[in-house]
Amino acid sequence: MSAVRRWLFSLGRFALFCGDFLKAAIRQPPPPGATMAEAYRIGIRSMPILLIISAFVGTNLSLQGYYAFKPLGGQSLVGMFVALAGVRELAPIIAASMIAAKAGTEMASQIAVMRIQQQIDALEVMAVNPHWYLITPRLLGIVLVMPALTTIAMYVMVAAAYVVGVYQLGLNGAEFLEFAVQAADTRDLFYGGLKAMIFGVIICMVSCYNGFYSGHGARGVGTATNTAVVTAAVTCVVLNYFISEMVYG
Amino acid sequence: MADSVSNDLSNSVTNSPKPLMYLEDVWKSFGSLEVLKGVSFAFPEGKTTAIVGPSGTGKSVLLKHLVGLLEPDRGKVMVFGTDMAQASEREKFAVRRRMGMLFQDGALFDSMTVGENIEFPLVHHQKELSRDQRRARVAEVLEQVELPGLEDRPTSALSGGQRKRVGLARAIVTRPEVILFDEPNSGLDPITSDAIDALISSMQARLGITFIVISHDIVGTVNVADYIGMLYGGSLIEYGPTEDVLRSENDIVRRFLHRNLELPHETGAGARLPGLERWRDK
Repeated sequence: MSAVRRWLFSLGRFALFCGDFLKAAIRQPPPPGATMAEAYRIGIRSMPILLIISAFVGTNLSLQGYYAFKPLGGQSLVGMFVALAGVRELAPIIAASMIAAKAGTEMASQIAVMRIQQQIDALEVMAVNPHWYLITPRLLGIVLVMPALTTIAMYVMVAAAYVVGVYQLGLNGAEFLEFAVQAADTRDLFYGGLKAMIFGVIICMVSCYNGFYSGHGARGVGTATNTAVVTAAVTCVVLNYFISEMVYG
Repeated sequence: MADSVSNDLSNSVTNSPKPLMYLEDVWKSFGSLEVLKGVSFAFPEGKTTAIVGPSGTGKSVLLKHLVGLLEPDRGKVMVFGTDMAQASEREKFAVRRRMGMLFQDGALFDSMTVGENIEFPLVHHQKELSRDQRRARVAEVLEQVELPGLEDRPTSALSGGQRKRVGLARAIVTRPEVILFDEPNSGLDPITSDAIDALISSMQARLGITFIVISHDIVGTVNVADYIGMLYGGSLIEYGPTEDVLRSENDIVRRFLHRNLELPHETGAGARLPGLERWRDK
């Protein structure tokens, strides 16, 4: 099978997979308690790594903004630069990438192991729809926490940029915040949350799909996990451009 | 040759007493590999039927057709009057609620304890039961599989034989009409394997329901089965009551039995195996 045909086959199978999930999800409410458990797991477990990455992306934005604007005498605009780049673009992308790397890989590998250990077959034989049982709580959980995680990433990014800008680079704190607030308003928070939800759906569906159709053995699980994180992260980054173009273009 | 034998068998197997489930002229291929070639097979109600044969002859594929995990390229798979090849997901689920299945490695959920694993189908399908009633039922089936008091143990702490027993407990907890066993002896030492065979025999005697066992372990099969069907090269080459199959004139069946049961190759009827004696006593 050529690469193009393989890709089309995967795309078709992914569409069918999403269709099966939608049918199953519409027919019955999610398993009780599972959604909050997933939300807690995705949200809390991903938080430390997200905080660290967001903080250091913020510090670097501040540094690069300062060195770019200083020769032009516009270092006071660093707050605006951080808000535009960080809040509008980088925070949703960073949050999506971290969740794909942390929660997405966990979903893909867990489901892949369940596949090779016949646990998914066991669910089917016990007349429990695996699409409903395994995906619904994960999807609802990730959609619930992604906007919150993205908003946290936005604030942490700006706060870290502020600390570096004011205490290391000697910028005026009030000026920094004024320009930041001017550049990014509640509309940006709303679009950031919307992006986050869309990215959450992509991460969950791509990860679960790769787990469901995992190959055999350790190699199969590894490939499924790897494909899931790469596909989800790339899709989110590409889609981010089109959403930004639609919203801000 | 195999085709004509298969056709002759088609009539005999579908005319067996009270076929609760049967396959009629089932064909299945994966790419260019033909796995099932026109298999017809009936499973008498309230009996233990074993499907035996060498590895790679389509035994597990056949079992997956019975529970609707695979669909045939052509042919009928009738289970409780529903053609699983044509059934919707909802109809398949309705059929599966009347079945239990023991998977090769138990297929237990790692994130749950033994008790939670066994309780799982009750939580989803017998919602009228209270938590206490479910727990009582779990304790009862654990007793039946000779693992009393293991409710709180994590599944990762179980041995291979215990995993099979817990899997069996989960399969019987909803009181199904049919239980399917996929290689119940695989990966077990001979002593544990014998214990599992004894458990299957005693469960069948106690529950009186239909058991379907897939195995390449002919010794264990002879101990537990009322009927045996042998798959070879994707075709059913022998089927009948265990005693008749042990006396089969089919050369492949005789070679298979000879190697596994140490029966005299020339006659196909043996008396040297303790398991066979046990079966005759039964």
